[in-house]
Amino acid sequence: MSTGFSANMSFIRRAFQAKRRPTKLSKPHNRTWRDYALILVPYLWMILFFLLPFLIIFKISLSVSEIAIPPYSPLVTFEEGAMQIILHLENYTSIFTDEDGTYFRSYVKSLQVAGLSTLFCLIIGYPIAWALATCKPTARNVLFMLVIMPSWTSFVVRIYSWMTIMKRDGLINDILMGIGIIDSPIQMLQTDFAVYVGITYCYLPYMVLPLFSALMKVDYSLIEASYDLGCRPVKTFFNSLIPQTKSGIIAGSMLVFIPALGEYVIPELLGGKGSILIGRILWQEFFNNRDWPLASAVAIIMLIILVIPIVWFYKIERKEQEKLYAQK
Amino acid sequence: MENTPECTADKQPVAASANNSAVPAKNAGHRPGELPGNKPSPTEQNLRPILEIKDITKEFEAFTAVNKVNLTLYEGEIFALLGSSGCGKSTLLRMLAGFETPTSGSILLDGEELIGVPPYKRPVNMMFQSYALFPYMTVKQNIAFGLKQEHLPKSQIEERVEKMLHLVHMEDYVDRKPFQLSGGQRQRVALARSLAKEPRVLLLDEPMGALDKKLREQMRLELVDIINSVGVTCLMVTHDQEEAMTMADRIAIMDRGQFVQIGGPREIYENPNCRFCAEFIGSVNLFDCTLISSNATQSLLRADDFTHLIELQHDIDLADGMPLTIALRPEKIYISHEKPEEETNWCHGVVENIAYLGDISIYYVRLKDGRIVTSTLPNVDRFKQGLPTWDDQVYLSWDAESCIALTI
Repeated sequence: MSTGFSANMSFIRRAFQAKRRPTKLSKPHNRTWRDYALILVPYLWMILFFLLPFLIIFKISLSVSEIAIPPYSPLVTFEEGAMQIILHLENYTSIFTDEDGTYFRSYVKSLQVAGLSTLFCLIIGYPIAWALATCKPTARNVLFMLVIMPSWTSFVVRIYSWMTIMKRDGLINDILMGIGIIDSPIQMLQTDFAVYVGITYCYLPYMVLPLFSALMKVDYSLIEASYDLGCRPVKTFFNSLIPQTKSGIIAGSMLVFIPALGEYVIPELLGGKGSILIGRILWQEFFNNRDWPLASAVAIIMLIILVIPIVWFYKIERKEQEKLYAQK
Repeated sequence: MENTPECTADKQPVAASANNSAVPAKNAGHRPGELPGNKPSPTEQNLRPILEIKDITKEFEAFTAVNKVNLTLYEGEIFALLGSSGCGKSTLLRMLAGFETPTSGSILLDGEELIGVPPYKRPVNMMFQSYALFPYMTVKQNIAFGLKQEHLPKSQIEERVEKMLHLVHMEDYVDRKPFQLSGGQRQRVALARSLAKEPRVLLLDEPMGALDKKLREQMRLELVDIINSVGVTCLMVTHDQEEAMTMADRIAIMDRGQFVQIGGPREIYENPNCRFCAEFIGSVNLFDCTLISSNATQSLLRADDFTHLIELQHDIDLADGMPLTIALRPEKIYISHEKPEEETNWCHGVVENIAYLGDISIYYVRLKDGRIVTSTLPNVDRFKQGLPTWDDQVYLSWDAESCIALTI
C-alpha cells in the first residue's frame, strides 16, 4: 500500500500543477540559504517518509523469515571480527518460480481490476467533468460539492454502505424483486462486480478533477473547426476533444490506477474468494504468515510494475510540454 | 475577376474557377482606371445572388443580438460586416456557419434553406479568428482534415492539398506543426484549410485579429489576392475599418444588431447616410444646423457654431426651419491665414493644438463659441508653405460639395 501512495504523490502534483512555464532558475551561486531552506522541507519529507521506509522495505526483502523480533534475518552480521553482508534473493525467485502461480495470478488480477476500474472511471468521469466545465459558474459550485462531498465521509463507512446496498436482501435486490424483474436475489457481494463498483465509486473524484481542469483549458474553436470541416459530433469528440484533454486523461488515469492496483480494503470487504488481489497477498504474508521478507519482495515488484509506465508517461508529457513552451 | 466580360454571365461553380487559377493574380478584381473602393455594384455587374439572408433574428436571454437583418451576397464578392464589438456581426457569421441557431428568419444558400442543417453538412467553411489549427497535426494534416471527412480517394486528397499549399505559398512547411509557424504563416494555413473543401461561401472571422499591425497591412491584399484567384464568395467580420475598406467590395456597417448602411468603401466614406456611420468611419466634424432655404440648386443652412452660413449645391428634402446635421471630413477643410472672399462656407478660429502624426498633421482650431474643429493637412504641404502654427488666427473653409447633410 505504501508503494501506491508514494507513487501517487507525484501525480497529484503534476495533475494540479497546470501548465507552468519553465522559468529560468537562478544559477546556484545566486541562491541564498533561504532558497535551500525552502527546498529542504519537501526533500526532508520525502526522504523521511518515502525514501527511508522504501530502503527499509528493500532491505527486508533481501533477508529471510525468522522466528524472532523483528521476524527476519539481519542483513549485516559480525562474526569473529568479520563483517558479513548476506543478500537473500530467494524471496524474488520464489515469487517467479511459485508452482501454483498464486503471485503471478494475483498480479495479473490486480492489473486487470485496476485497469478496468480506471476505464470505468474514465467513461463515467468524462461526462461529469464535461458538465462541471461547461455549466454556469453558479451551478458549478454545487456540482463540485456533489463530486467531492462523498470523500468527506469515512472510506470504510462508504464501503459498508455499498455492502448494505448490494447484499442478498439489500436495496438493489429488494427493488428488482419488488418490481418483479427477478424472482430470487442476485449474488452481488463477494463477486468481482462488487469490487469494480467499489473501486470505481471511490476513485471517481480523482478522475473527475484532473479531467475537469483539462476541460477548462479546451479551445472550443477547435471543436467548432472540426464541425466546420465536416466532422460529426462523435468524430469531433475523438478528433478534437480527446487530443486536447490527453494530459487530463493520463493524470486522472494514473491517480485512479495506481492506488487501485494496491487496493486492499475494497476487495477484502466486497470481493469474494476469487478476488485475490496483490493487496490481499501482502496482508496475508505480513500478518497471517508473518513472512515479512516475502511480503516486502511482493511490494517491491509491484512498485517496479508501477514505475515503468509512470516514467514512460512522464517522459512523453515532458516532451509535449517542451513543445508547447517553444510555441509560446 | 468579376469585371471581366466572360465572368459577368452565369458564372461557373467556384470549384471550376479554383482549378483554373491556382496562382494569385495581382490586383484580381480590379480594372485599370477604376477608382479605388468604387467597384460597380453587384447588380450592375449582373452577378448571381448566392446567399440570401431574410429577416434573420437572434435573441439571447437578455438581449437581441441580431434584429431582422436582410442581406444578399453575390457570387464572387468579398463582403465585410463592420461594427464595434457586441453589434451582432459575429453572431450573424456564426449563424451562417451553423454554430448558432437563429430565433427566426431564413438563410438560403443557392436557394436552399440552411437553417436546420448542422455545421458539418453546410457547404460553407470558416477561418477562425484564432485560426483554430489543430496543434497536434502538421500543416499538411490540417489542410487534409476536411477533405478526409469527405472520404475522397487518397490521391485526390494529396492533389488538393498540394494545390492549396501552392496557393498560399506554404509548400516548404508541409511537415511543420502550427507552433513552429509565424502568425502570418498560420493564417495562410488556416485559409488553405478552409478553402480546401471548396466552400460555396468562405467565412472570415476577424481575419487579421491575431496578427500584429505591420503584418496586418501586408496580409490584407495578399488575402484578397488568394480569395480572388479562387473566386470564392467571402463574408468577413471585422471591427477594423481600414481592413474592411481595403479588402471588401461591399461593406455593411452594423450597430445594435442591425445594418445601418450597406455600400462600397467609397460610398460609405463619402456618403454616410446617418450620424452613426459618419462618426464610425474615419473622423468627422459634425455641426448642428437649421435649414433656412432649399431649392434644386442651392440650400442654405445656419450652423449654431458659425457666423457665416453653410451653402450646399443641391436640394435638401426637408421643411425650412428644420434641424439637421452637417458632416465635414477634416481633410476637406482648408486652413489659411487669408480671409475667404466667399460669403458662405467658412469660419474663423484660433489654432489651439497641432498633432503631428508623421504623414499628416491634425489642426485643432477653437471657434469663438469654444467649439473645436479638426482639420488635417499632409505634412508635405505643411512645411513647404508658411502655414498656421500655434495660437494663429485662421480661417477654415470648405467646398460646398464636401458638406454631407445628415437628417438622422
